[in-house]
Parts: sequence; C-alpha cells; structure tokens
Amino acid sequence: MTQPIDTSIYAAITEAIQAEAHRILAEGEVTAIVGYAAARRKGSAQPIIITDAADSVKLIFTPACVNNLAVYLTKAKKDIPKNGKIGIVVKGCDLKALSGLMGESQLKREELYLIGVPCAGVLASTVCPDQELTGDSIAPKCTECDAHLPTGCDFVPAETLVTPELERKYAVEIARLEALTPAERWVYWKEQFAKCIKCYACRQVCPFCFCEQCLCDRNKPQMVDTTPRPAGNTAWHIVRAMHLAGRCAGCAECERVCPMDIPLNLLNRKMAKELKELYNHEAGFEVLDKGPLNMFTEKDDQSFIK
Amino acid sequence: MWPPKKGNHSGLPLPLRPHMQKQITQQNLNILLDSLIKEGIRVVAPHMNGGTPLYEPLTCSADMNTGQLPRRSAKEAFFPVCEDIMTYEKEGQKVTVTDIDPVRFPETVLVGVRPCDAAAIPVLDAVFSWDYKDEFFLERRRKTTIIGLACTTADDACFCTAVGLSPAETKGSDLFLTPLVGGGYVCETYSDKGEQLITNHKELFSDTGGAKTLPLAQPETGKIDLKKVKAWLDEHFEDPLWDGIATRCVGCGACAFVCPACHCFDIVDEGTEKAGTRRKNWDACGFWKFTHHASGHNPRDGQPKRYRNRIMHKFKYYDDKFGQTLCSGCGRCVRVCPVGIDIKAIIDTILNSEC
Repeated sequence: MTQPIDTSIYAAITEAIQAEAHRILAEGEVTAIVGYAAARRKGSAQPIIITDAADSVKLIFTPACVNNLAVYLTKAKKDIPKNGKIGIVVKGCDLKALSGLMGESQLKREELYLIGVPCAGVLASTVCPDQELTGDSIAPKCTECDAHLPTGCDFVPAETLVTPELERKYAVEIARLEALTPAERWVYWKEQFAKCIKCYACRQVCPFCFCEQCLCDRNKPQMVDTTPRPAGNTAWHIVRAMHLAGRCAGCAECERVCPMDIPLNLLNRKMAKELKELYNHEAGFEVLDKGPLNMFTEKDDQSFIK
Repeated sequence: MWPPKKGNHSGLPLPLRPHMQKQITQQNLNILLDSLIKEGIRVVAPHMNGGTPLYEPLTCSADMNTGQLPRRSAKEAFFPVCEDIMTYEKEGQKVTVTDIDPVRFPETVLVGVRPCDAAAIPVLDAVFSWDYKDEFFLERRRKTTIIGLACTTADDACFCTAVGLSPAETKGSDLFLTPLVGGGYVCETYSDKGEQLITNHKELFSDTGGAKTLPLAQPETGKIDLKKVKAWLDEHFEDPLWDGIATRCVGCGACAFVCPACHCFDIVDEGTEKAGTRRKNWDACGFWKFTHHASGHNPRDGQPKRYRNRIMHKFKYYDDKFGQTLCSGCGRCVRVCPVGIDIKAIIDTILNSEC
C-alpha cells in the first residue's frame, strides 16, 4: 500500500498561515502564535512560539508537522506566555484536544485564535523526516481521520483537499486483538508494557495529561512503582488509558513519541470505542461541560451491578 | 576526592594501539559467537525485538542484526535500565539485608557495537569510578569484551564527526571489526582482552589478505570546536538563548534514556514493610521531579533551566570534572525528541552566537 498522498496544497497552506500570522501579530490581535517551523535536518519541523510579526515567515506546514501543539496551551507548560490572546496552528485532530480542554475549563475559546489547517495527513514518525507521505508512511490516525478540515476556526486557508480512502489501521489491529482470548491479549500487552523505560514521553506530550502533579510522580504514598518493571509499567499504562477514556480524541502523540514503539493509541482507541458503544459519546466534536464518565443519569446502563 | 583527577582512574586498562590485525568471515564470526554462548558467556548484540532494534543477549548468533543503530545505546550492558542493588526482609524485630554481589555478573561479549556507543563507555568509566567506585558498573566493565563495528551507513541525525569521533573510531573497543567487500571483516585488537579472544579462537581467524574494506559512512557534519562551545557555556549560564531553544521542551526523559552517555539514576525501595528490594533505575534531568526538593522548592523551576543542564553537563561540567565531552554524536536524542529538539543545531547556534 505505497499509494502516494497528495500534499501539494501544503505549500499554499504555508503561505496562507504566514500571511494570517503576520496580520494578527502586526494588528495586535494576538500576543503569540504557536506553530511549526523548519528545523536543521532536511524535511524536519519543530514547534515554535513567535511573538514578532517578522517571524511569521518561519511558520510552515508539511507532512513533518506532526505535533499536537495544544499541549503548549495547557497548564503543564508554564513556560509559554499566556497573557493575551494566543494564536495556534491546528490540524483537525489537534482541534479536538482543544475542544476537550475547553470543556474541562482549561482554556477559553475567546482567548484563542485558531488557525485551522486542511490536512491530508502527516508522517507516522519523524525519525527520518525527509520522506514522501504515502499509505505506508502516513500516521495510523490519519487513515481513520474524520476531521481533515477543521471546523469552527478563526481562519482556515481555502485549499481543497484530496484524501484517498486508506485501510483503517487501528480498526484492523483492534479487531485482531478483540478476537484473541483474554489470556492471549494479556500476553500481548505484557510484552508491550515490558518495553516501557518510563521516559514519560507519552505523558509529557499528551494535552490531557495536565495534572500539576501526576499520580506517578507522587511518593507519599507511592501509588505507582517508579521503576521500569512489570508492576509499575503496567500500572502506569492502565492508569493512563483509564484517565484518558472519554477524553482522548486520538491525536496519537503518545504513540508517535514512544521511543520503544509501544502501540499506546490502541488502548485509547479501544476506550473510545467502548465510550461510543456505551454512551454514544465521541470526544472532541463539541465542548461539553461533562463527559459521560463524569456524570450519572438514571438512564445509564446499570446491568453491571449484581 | 574533590576535585577529581582528570583522566583514567577507573583501574581499567586503557586501550592500546592495534597490535594484531586479522580477518574473519561472517560464518566464522557466527561460529565464534555460538561457541561463546555455548561456553556460558553472555553475548549481547544488536537484535530486533519485534520491530525495535535493541542490544540484547543472544541465544543464537543468527539473531544478531546489525542493520540498524539500536534504539537504546550499549550503556545498558553496564548500566541497565533498572537493577536490584539489595533486598531486605523483616521478621519481627529482625531485619535481614542482602547485598547483590556483583561477582555474580556473567562474563560478557558485547558485539556489533557502533563506534559512537563504544566510545561513550570509557567516558562513563570516569564518573562511575571517581569518588565512589560503582561496582555494579565496574565489575560488568571488567567482565565485558567489546567488539566494535565500523559504520557503513549514517543519516543526517548522526554527528559523531562533529564531536571528534568517526564511523571508524576504535575508542572503547577491545576488538574492532571493519566490514569487507564481499562479506567478512578485518579484525583489529586494541587491548589484551581483544587479543585474548582471538588467541582463544585463533582457528576462526586468518591473516589479512589485502581484501578491500567497504566504504564507511560519511556523516555530513564537520568537526566542531568543542573548546569554543565550552568557552561560551562558561559565560552563559543565564542567556535568552535557553528560552529560545528549550521552551518547546516537554520535559520527558526520552533524550537521556536513549543517550549512550547520560548516566543519572534514581534509587528507590520497592516492596512492602515485610520485604522488598532497593533498585537503581535511569533518571533524567529533563524531568520536573529531578531537582524537586522535599520542601517543595525546585531550583530548576522551568523547562529551559532543565534543558540547559543537559547541554551544560555534556559540554561543560563533564569537561570541567573529567576533561571529556559527554556526547558521542550518535544522534539518538535528535531522532527521538517528541518536539524535534536537535542538539547538533543547538551547538551550531551556540557557535554562531556573537557573544
């Protein structure tokens, strides 16, 4: 499945982002913009925060613009200036995280200027950033994307996307795991969690991991073993998956950044599937005061109480 | 003792210049590794674990896969991700503490080690042997023979040449392999250990017959002036540059954990009141918790300050203490950083800054 994916509009999107960024900074509509800039290695990109209109030429959009920049707006990132309205470049998947953060009273819509990106997809990994976007190199989340064109933004470049139909990578893998017996599935996840080295890259890039002190960083009491061994690794990954259930909208940053290749987003997608089946809930499409796991209604399924 | 003496004080022999040059076929190398495994020697080599290349103990030479740079460095052969250092048991008023005896560590041959990984190991000897002799590290060092392997490929994250090393660097290797055109390797010894290994299996080696070696990788980066980098760091503990490069840092430990030279660790007791284990596991200066005091104060209260420590430790503090640089240019941190922080680009920025 090496089908090429058309990213020819990304150059025009880059130009449009630069022009809009220049305008809103020059006119004082925002105090800072979080976006993507080219980095040293050929084809590479990295997050950048600009405060000067003259720096808007640094902003780009390419298949290597993988990050969910919403993480920089959370209270976990205290180093970002948060006085005044902030502009942010968002793909559809990133926007879902922002919706969630607004619902959880972490952000206010009126404090943001959303520059939406029509996105045909980004790379699964930027270990080798200089590569074509194809059905093979594309991020698995992009094969299931239902938000190529972000809605409700302040600005979206008027470019028309071509998005080919791709095999839904997570759906296929989840179906495979669901077909296993619980014992077989446990073997699979034990192997995956055994690879964890507790670098916490998954936590640190997650827009929803904004706890000022993570349970795993507390030691009075020590709820989760800190060493990268089976007990602590399993506890961490289960805690992570459960804490994100009903909130994670699938930006898959946790999985992308894992240096040990643990397929973390499978856990999140499985949780999302359960939430859809149980409560007809999908995270990220609207700003909700309370997600389904934060409230009780008399109509809730109570068959589990025996 | 402070200040530590610069240079080698680990008690480990310094590598010598090559005094033996031989040749070995791939088939004979496999026979060598299989016979070592059969003798009960732990053979650690690059190996595909699922889709992830890692240095791991082999059960059979055919499992060695040197096609890719392992995701984590070879330091874990001496300084594992996590290891037990003692156990305790409490029965009534009686507490029994049992040390882990490093003498039990197995004789090891670490093979297929990339020059950037091998070169970092003697650099680590300095820190694990100056004030406190870390027997967990040093005993493994004594018992390990390192077989380095020259690199024939590199990507644009590789920058060994920038820090004064190269794809043919033999530093840290007891024995060094350079691939030959048509298969097999030239094999040079750099220590008594390396020579011993050849002597013990001399039937597997032949004299070099003038066979051509494969062209080695040519990383694109030229040598950088490390003295100039250090001179800048000496004067710029406070500098706006740190905010500019490191505000984007999200504060994970990925860079430190894949690094061949980062060596910070935490010590924790895990278990119950009745019994448990004291463990040593990797830690990273990028973590918020790394410098968090019991009082609640954190002297490195922002991510740029934490990232500054990473650069300072590699290119200034370690040089101040031990006269060495704590970076071998493997490029792993560049490849894994979630937010694309590129240490080579930062060094370039420092060198290009005017003051």
